[in-house]
Amino acid sequence: MRNLTQAKKACSYSQTRLPSGLTVLVRPMPGYSTVHAEYATRFGSVYDRFELEGKPVALPAGVAHFLEHKMFESEEGDAFCLYAKTGANANAYTSFDKTCYLFTSSGEKAEASLDILLNMVGKPYFTEATIAKEQGIIGQEIKMYEDSPDWRLLVGLCGCLYHTHPVKNDIAGSVESIAQITPEMLYACTSAFYSPGNMVLAVAGDITEAQVLEACRRAGLTQPAPLPDARAIWPKEPLTVAKSRLEFEMAVAKPCFGIGFKEAPAPLDDPCREILCDLLSEVICGDMTPLYRRLYDEGLVNPEFGCEYLCLPGCCCLLFTGESEDPDRVRQLLMAEIDRLRREGVEEELFTLCKHQMYGRFLQDLENVDDACGAMMGSALKGRALADELEALAALTKADLDQALADMLAAERSAMVVVRPAKEGEE
Amino acid sequence: MERKQIAPAAYLCRIGAEKFNQCRVALHFQYPARRDRATADALLPLVLERGFADCPDMTELSRRLARLYGADLTVETAMNGANRVLTVSVTGLKDELALEGEALSRQYAALALGVAFHPYLVGDTFDPEAVEIEKDKLKKQLEAQVNNKRSYCVRQARRRYFGSSPAGIERDGYPEEVEGITPAALTQAYREMLRAATIDLMAVGADGDMLAELLAGELAGLDRQPLALAPASAMPRQEPALFEENMEMEQAKLCLLFTAGRPTGTEEMAACRLAMSLFGGSATSRLFLNVREKQSLCYYCGATYSSVTGTMSVDSGIQPQNAARAEAAILKELKDLCEGPITQEELEDCRRGLLSGLGSVEDTLSGLENWYYTEICRDGAVDSPAQARAALEAVTADQVRQVLRMFSLSVRYLLTPKEAQEDA
Repeated sequence: MRNLTQAKKACSYSQTRLPSGLTVLVRPMPGYSTVHAEYATRFGSVYDRFELEGKPVALPAGVAHFLEHKMFESEEGDAFCLYAKTGANANAYTSFDKTCYLFTSSGEKAEASLDILLNMVGKPYFTEATIAKEQGIIGQEIKMYEDSPDWRLLVGLCGCLYHTHPVKNDIAGSVESIAQITPEMLYACTSAFYSPGNMVLAVAGDITEAQVLEACRRAGLTQPAPLPDARAIWPKEPLTVAKSRLEFEMAVAKPCFGIGFKEAPAPLDDPCREILCDLLSEVICGDMTPLYRRLYDEGLVNPEFGCEYLCLPGCCCLLFTGESEDPDRVRQLLMAEIDRLRREGVEEELFTLCKHQMYGRFLQDLENVDDACGAMMGSALKGRALADELEALAALTKADLDQALADMLAAERSAMVVVRPAKEGEE
Repeated sequence: MERKQIAPAAYLCRIGAEKFNQCRVALHFQYPARRDRATADALLPLVLERGFADCPDMTELSRRLARLYGADLTVETAMNGANRVLTVSVTGLKDELALEGEALSRQYAALALGVAFHPYLVGDTFDPEAVEIEKDKLKKQLEAQVNNKRSYCVRQARRRYFGSSPAGIERDGYPEEVEGITPAALTQAYREMLRAATIDLMAVGADGDMLAELLAGELAGLDRQPLALAPASAMPRQEPALFEENMEMEQAKLCLLFTAGRPTGTEEMAACRLAMSLFGGSATSRLFLNVREKQSLCYYCGATYSSVTGTMSVDSGIQPQNAARAEAAILKELKDLCEGPITQEELEDCRRGLLSGLGSVEDTLSGLENWYYTEICRDGAVDSPAQARAALEAVTADQVRQVLRMFSLSVRYLLTPKEAQEDA
């Protein structure tokens, strides 16, 4: 890849580490009228065991997500009421490895909205009564996900691939697990994971770095903050799969399937593994490949068939998912294609085209204030920068990909989940 | 935005997009929807997206797009009241970001116009093999609608609400008709679209002069007889019709559809936007704050509005045993807004949220294009987001109340597990 100068300019932003330990990323975007901010902590559903001041803490599934819901409340009321005064559109989400609080507002109201965000996150307020109310709301959210075949497929697949790693648990937990949550647990999680040194603030749009740093100063984030004596604990996880096959029924029209491959975990600050996972997915079953074309033309998959990957602390896997009348035939063809690529190597032209495509998508993801923020924040939480990812992509060779094919996607480390249509009168 | 006529019922719309790394070329074909051709019209985008005369093979087309740094080619169809819109769009990086100096934007134009005007034909019709494959895909897509319970419930409610009205023609066609579509019938539907449609070519950050010239060239070779578009029209008022469907599921879904009895004009848009935000379109709405937060009767509960059909939709995810209470609570909130006080504070909270949202329209390529094309489709004056903001600033509580008073319930659709028992 030549002439990366323009591309590097297009993905530039400032990065500052404040005395409190908070990492602040700012991407001023001239001509834009809105501002998007994401304030995130390295604390997601997989952080279910940790030590705080030498004492072990074990959490039931769903605590990170529960805490996200509760973070919007204070003694004075709900943060949504405060955001209503700035017109900001605020939200939050919890994933396997992070919890993120965000807003989009007009440029004029960005500083006031930042004040709300920075004062809300990390300063929780819980009572038995507010926790009980939230258990009801989240219980309904869990029920909604239980009706989603895609979500249940993902949870089922992680449950097959992993023996003990908490990725096998639903991010929101279960009605039973969240019933065990207490105020003490939530305060312990806040102390352990919501310190500025464990967090990243990313802001993009109609704003300057000085404005963001001044908001951090107003929130007390420019003062040194003690690092909590906290350490996440990861269970020992063998490379074998817990279960090679799972089938269950739901109200779906056609069988949905997932085929997962468990891989050795990789260092999160090195973008190469994630780029390789992306490239593997494209060269095996992307829409430029013979496998995709065959599956498509023979009516074995729908256009949504594809592959995603998870690279988390202590966990890495590739997940192929789709809908098919004959999931086992799809698995057979997928494994045969992986074997062929191992034997013959990846076609040179296909490799180059996939890199071109990834380069374009990388820049497309910086086009909007929210996408830009998400990309900056996600990269920083893993200890890297977007420019590192661009350079890693440019440096990857076909030999690297051929080697990844040799090392990864082993049949003995794979599992399959099939969701079959429920027969009349049963699930 | 500048809209210029370049041929009968054919326009070029230029939208500036200097701040973006990408540009976008979109061709919209809008024409009156026909029930007898609905399934062919739904199949058309799937076949067009596979390839065109200059690049018939779908895998080769994917490779061509990858060479253009992952440019995105999309062909899709949507309904605008009783009219159908087929859109061919290409979005990709601007020329200056090409790694080897390629003229990308010219290729985007060639792709979009090629797909729209030069499909791959075998003899006089679409490729029979491609048609068969895409028929199978469409059939599966229609069958899979049941997988997403929320959208399935809304679809089912809309089917009862619109009945056989042209505005109720299914965007995605009818499963029982897919098998019978022949390559010849599909080609006929395509040719009819080219003949009858009003065409808008949107150049968002792309070279408008080049595109205008190319489009004029394409149209010069066509037998064009554009049809008048179907006017906006609303469903008449009726006694509420109640429907219930049982399914194996955990969370029940409730959809309420209301008619205003008439479509609303462009001059009412600002009041309609604020009314929806206050009733159920925001985190400061009555439905969110009272039905979800205070009464915990649903996980989500939101209201949306279609001006072209004068329809308000409320959909919610609820515990099955709470269905009747949730419905009563939703109707009570509407009644309270129509008859009771509206505080200045809640009105301003909603207005600020909408003003902020209108500001963000111009910060994405697709937002900009959608905004202006939606304005064009409304068939009134084309307002910029700034004009819409100014109109919104002037809306009063009385105007909001007047909007909400127009609505009467027509259809209630409840999708619920089989054994749901109503709580006392």
